[in-house]
Amino acid sequence: MEPLILSHELSKNYNGKVCALDRVSLEICPGEWVAVMGASGSGKSTLLNMIAALDLPTSGALWVDGVDIVTYTEEERVRFRREKVGLIFQHFYLIPYLTAVENVMLAQYFHSMPDKGEAEEALRRVGLGERLDSLPSELSGGEQQRVCIARAFINQPKIVLADEPTGNLDATNEETIMKIFHHLHRAGHTLLVVTHDPHIGQQADRIIELDHGRVVPVVSSQRSFLKNTNFTLSIPIKEKHPT
Amino acid sequence: MIKQMLTRLLAKSLWKQKTSTALIVLSVASAAALVSAFLNLAFHLTEQVAKELRSFGANILLVPRSDPLEVEIGGLKYVAPEESAHLEEADLVKLKTIFWRHNIVAFAPFLSRLVEIEGNRALLVGTWFEEEIAIPAGKGLFTFASGIQREVEPDSGKFRTGLKSLARWWRVEGGWVGEDGQGVLLGSQLAQRIGVGRGGVVRITYQGRTVLFPIRGLVQTGGVEEEQVFVHLKKAQDLFGLPGKVDKIQVSALVTPDNSLAIRASRIGPARLSPEEYETWYCSPFLNSIIHQFEEAIPDSSAKAIRQVSEAEGAFIGKMRLTFMLTVALALLAASLGVMAAMMTAIFERRQEIGLMKALGADGKQISLFFLLEGGISGFFGGVLGYFGGLAFARLLAARTFSLASFSLPLSLQGVILFTTLILAVGLAVVGSFLPMREATRLEPIRAMRGS
Ligand SMILES: Nc1ncnc2c1ncn2[C@@H]1O[C@H](COP(=O)(O)OP(=O)(O)O)[C@@H](O)[C@H]1O
Ligand SMILES: [Mg+2]
Repeated sequence: MEPLILSHELSKNYNGKVCALDRVSLEICPGEWVAVMGASGSGKSTLLNMIAALDLPTSGALWVDGVDIVTYTEEERVRFRREKVGLIFQHFYLIPYLTAVENVMLAQYFHSMPDKGEAEEALRRVGLGERLDSLPSELSGGEQQRVCIARAFINQPKIVLADEPTGNLDATNEETIMKIFHHLHRAGHTLLVVTHDPHIGQQADRIIELDHGRVVPVVSSQRSFLKNTNFTLSIPIKEKHPT
Repeated sequence: MIKQMLTRLLAKSLWKQKTSTALIVLSVASAAALVSAFLNLAFHLTEQVAKELRSFGANILLVPRSDPLEVEIGGLKYVAPEESAHLEEADLVKLKTIFWRHNIVAFAPFLSRLVEIEGNRALLVGTWFEEEIAIPAGKGLFTFASGIQREVEPDSGKFRTGLKSLARWWRVEGGWVGEDGQGVLLGSQLAQRIGVGRGGVVRITYQGRTVLFPIRGLVQTGGVEEEQVFVHLKKAQDLFGLPGKVDKIQVSALVTPDNSLAIRASRIGPARLSPEEYETWYCSPFLNSIIHQFEEAIPDSSAKAIRQVSEAEGAFIGKMRLTFMLTVALALLAASLGVMAAMMTAIFERRQEIGLMKALGADGKQISLFFLLEGGISGFFGGVLGYFGGLAFARLLAARTFSLASFSLPLSLQGVILFTTLILAVGLAVVGSFLPMREATRLEPIRAMRGS
């Protein structure tokens, strides 16, 4: 299978000193759910921002859907974000003066055409059918994050990138969010979820662990559908589901 | 759907962020109020001054008929010399006997020649300063070819007129030449050039004859008159050896603006109007019908409309307007800084929102359109608010400070002021949002979003 995301010796230095990413090479296949784990400051967000074309690497190459996005112009990066990725952040960024459904419609508007019915349906799927016209300030943290998830999926992106999506949520809300992720994964979406919580990470197809900007090598048996991944160093963990 | 979304977005953004919107609207409104108040006052005051000047300035000039008068004597044609180049002083009173006699506000005769004054060449102008004349009864009943008769009340009795009522805007230091007709009024430039002042004496020489005149006053007019010397008409006639003669007469007449009939009459000539039209034209105080009536009253004269006063008025009002405009420009500059600051704060506070929009895939154009439209809408409302605020302030100021009871400008001028104010207000808000806007869209989305 053609990898959807393929990076080769991707590095990022801040101010010429801090090496946030150090020659990261990886590959992610369509339909895969990958968790990116590691200690705080290990470069997880930096990697995610690269793949989202929100930030540029210092060196290396990064192919997404067959195109090297490092060579993109600013304009192309905007179009890429609009068409290929859905983003979910730790802080649930919503436009405060727009209702839940309007926040979802805004993403539709930037992408192509707002469609209220579709936006409402997306919110219903994350269990917010009753809160369509609520303002972010009227929603709980978990509910706000679910609006963000609905927004991230509304334009049918190739990849969904989530940076510690449950980092600010309690266990119950975390459970709800993870259920939604499982659901989306079964529906065939490609997920890249950054987390430092092993409980979250273990639910993914495999884990990529970062340490000081480097991918931690793990020697382990490869799962069948990862056969083609020649230089990806990753742990397939489905079998080791705890308890 | 896209327009609907944008409209909803704008409406919500403006409405839900009331404090920020109110701040911008208010800052634009105060700038707009300033512009509106100044423009209203400037137009109103200049209008007032213009009206004042217009009602006293000369608008008609009478000169001797320019084509040489041909006289036939014994079958031979002679061109009458000298005499035909002058008007008779005695004919002046006839100006108050025409159909529109009541509309004649002031007039003054002039007789000028170049003279030597203290060794300098200058124009000596003989005129009436403030003359009391007796008006003859004149024709009371006017009969027209159309059969209509019109009666006009005689403008009986005395009439005081002369330069003093004709040239209201002249600034005389000292005094006008008095009743006795003694002395001169010296143009201020000329006085400076020959180095004399009020209370002094000047020696004036014309064709070998020298006369001494005491200086009564110095005059500032803003025009060529400052290089001239004014004496009583009688003195000039004596000096030039032209008793009872004048070169020209300036008249200030109240006229009504031309309508289509007046324009037609000037194009085809009054003689070719139908009798009914002629009667209507003759009995309306158009500039040209009054000119026509002057030429009837003084047959060897040629009358024409002049703009002499309008020019002086124009120069003066121009200066006045310029002063106002410069003040407005300066004040506006200060006010725009306030607007800029308000816009900058507002957009700076929303850089997270801008970052989010960018992260969601909004391009610079979509974001700019949104924020510039938002700025434009705030600017528009600020402009409307400011326009009326400024108008109210101008009215108050006009009443309190300039003690002007009525304050009304023609609707067209009000339109101009409203339009100018709105354009400035919207422009100010859009330009004010443009710079911080560009800064915000340039920011990398993650950095913008991280910022608190
Ligand atoms: N904008 C930045 N400027 C300078 N250093 C940064 C910036 N962003 C991240 N870093 C540094 O890069 C490293 C990796 O950061 P990050 O990717 O956010 O880690 P994580 O998400 O794993 O906690 C950290 O040492 C962090 O301090
Ligand atoms: Mg992070």
